[in-house]
Amino acid sequence: MAQFALVIDLNTCVGCHACATNCKEWNTQASFGPLSDFDPYGREPQGVWYNRIMTYEVGEFPNTQVFHLPKSCLHCQDAPCVPVCPTGASYKREQDGIVLVNYDDCIGCKLCSWSCPYGCREFDEADKVMKKCTLCIDRIYDETLPPEHRKPACVLTCPARARFFGDIEDPSSEAYKVIKERNGFVLFPDMGTNPANHYLPRTETKVHIDEHLLKPENPLFLEVVQRHYKGG
Amino acid sequence: MHPPLSLIWFFLTAGTSIGLFSFIYLTDFLSLFGLNTSLPPNMILFSCVISLVLIALGAIGASFHLGHKLRAWKAIKRFHTSWLSREAVFSGAYGFTLLLYGVSYYFNLHPAVQHFFGISTLLLGWLSAFSTAMIYASNRFVLEWNTSLTVLYYLNMYLMLGSSAFLATAYHYKPELIKPYLLLALLFVFLGLALRIAFNVRQFFLKRPTINEALNLPHNRPVKVLDTGTTTNNYCTEEFYYRRGKEMLSFVLPLAYIFTFVIPLMLLLYSLISANYKYAFYALAYASLFVGSALERWSFFVEGNHVQNLFYGLYPEEGYRLRKGYMEKKKTKISLRS
Ligand code: SF4
Ligand code: SF4
Ligand code: SF4
Repeated sequence: MAQFALVIDLNTCVGCHACATNCKEWNTQASFGPLSDFDPYGREPQGVWYNRIMTYEVGEFPNTQVFHLPKSCLHCQDAPCVPVCPTGASYKREQDGIVLVNYDDCIGCKLCSWSCPYGCREFDEADKVMKKCTLCIDRIYDETLPPEHRKPACVLTCPARARFFGDIEDPSSEAYKVIKERNGFVLFPDMGTNPANHYLPRTETKVHIDEHLLKPENPLFLEVVQRHYKGG
Repeated sequence: MHPPLSLIWFFLTAGTSIGLFSFIYLTDFLSLFGLNTSLPPNMILFSCVISLVLIALGAIGASFHLGHKLRAWKAIKRFHTSWLSREAVFSGAYGFTLLLYGVSYYFNLHPAVQHFFGISTLLLGWLSAFSTAMIYASNRFVLEWNTSLTVLYYLNMYLMLGSSAFLATAYHYKPELIKPYLLLALLFVFLGLALRIAFNVRQFFLKRPTINEALNLPHNRPVKVLDTGTTTNNYCTEEFYYRRGKEMLSFVLPLAYIFTFVIPLMLLLYSLISANYKYAFYALAYASLFVGSALERWSFFVEGNHVQNLFYGLYPEEGYRLRKGYMEKKKTKISLRS
């Protein structure tokens, strides 16, 4: 069975928030209706976002690394947010595994958000219904769009090309390949949710100083030598 | 977790309604076995009206938790998977059969009919209570709630509220019942105290997940939250982390203990020991339980830590650790940026 998902490369994500911004932009105007903002020009601007980017630092000083983690609904294969919904408004599509909320049925009880270990659902106080990433279902099936544009808004906009989209059950898809080739992993594997969205782990990059860089004719010779010997 | 007042209200009203009805009906039911426990019809009718009004008020109050009240009926659709759906169905059915029971009593229908409705109401009431408790207990992502203690304690609270309300009612209609039921009320309050202490103690020993587990990173590397993406709070930080509540908890929880257990215990014990069966004792015990339970439910929500808070660095670090056989309290540190 197909399972559409996003794969995010943590090596290249620069935390620019372009995906989050374009997600908000697209989804506020598209067929799922607005993502409300509250007090947008005030001191405490709040709003509904499908995708939020967190920044973490790992390791101990001075050996630290900073990485950015864009987090939207992970379209879990065993989504715990679905069975708890009393109205059936939250559902997982058979044909592509996308988890959606039917706004006409949602009574706004918030129970589904309590049952998501990732904090990926947000309540829209203006519409009084629960909202979440739709995997841009209204883009990916839109036949009026050119085929190369039938991808989620966040994937298309990412300037670092850190985001991949596809069917993670289909070996010919880009998403499947990168997960396999680069050891894609999921968040919170112990929660038994089996998330569909994957992340590509940071890989260590080693820089080798080539011989020719160490030639005295190199105008940067001094700097290269200094850095090399100081371990900079 | 952010405590929703509407759900606390539903707990108090449904708890009194179901608890009181259970004592009324079961007492009357015992008379079928030749015991001298048949209740004056006025007492039954009075209690039915009170229970009915309370469950109706509870339902109205609980609907304020919903974004769309008019669609509430749709909550019956996922009965096979959702405890919230089951709660909605059972509590609605409970109200309905309670009405039928009252009507059958008022018109003095055949006892078989009365008892049929009585038993159905009793069953549906407790099924609804169990479903409500399971909404919390089945949530795997709030470890403080995810235990059978949550259910046992919840059901026992209904019995505490019900038995003290029953004492106050029996005082006016059938005072000879006070003595045995006083013991029962005492027992439930004692049991409640034991279960609440167990619930609190359990929190110290929970094995909590860490941010490394959430991010699926090696365990030996320290992780720090640098930025949560927005400069202000959002739905997730407000719904799952109630900052003001966390600050007030150390003050509210002891108050909850005092009002829910200490005061009712003293009142009921005094009444029992001194054989002084005054109405004021039972009314006060119920009032104290009512206030205490409201505070207790508030604390229950605030004590709950949702694992999604890990992503925001708002999850308690391993708070308590067992060392050399005694319990050592490590200061629980919760911070957005360390
Ligand atoms: S990430 Fe959360 S909202 Fe999305 S499918 Fe999984 S549990 Fe549900
Ligand atoms: S908030 Fe809406 S989608 Fe979520 S569980 Fe309640 S009814 Fe279902
Ligand atoms: S897939 Fe669409 S809805 Fe989901 S985060 Fe990306 S842009 Fe937003």
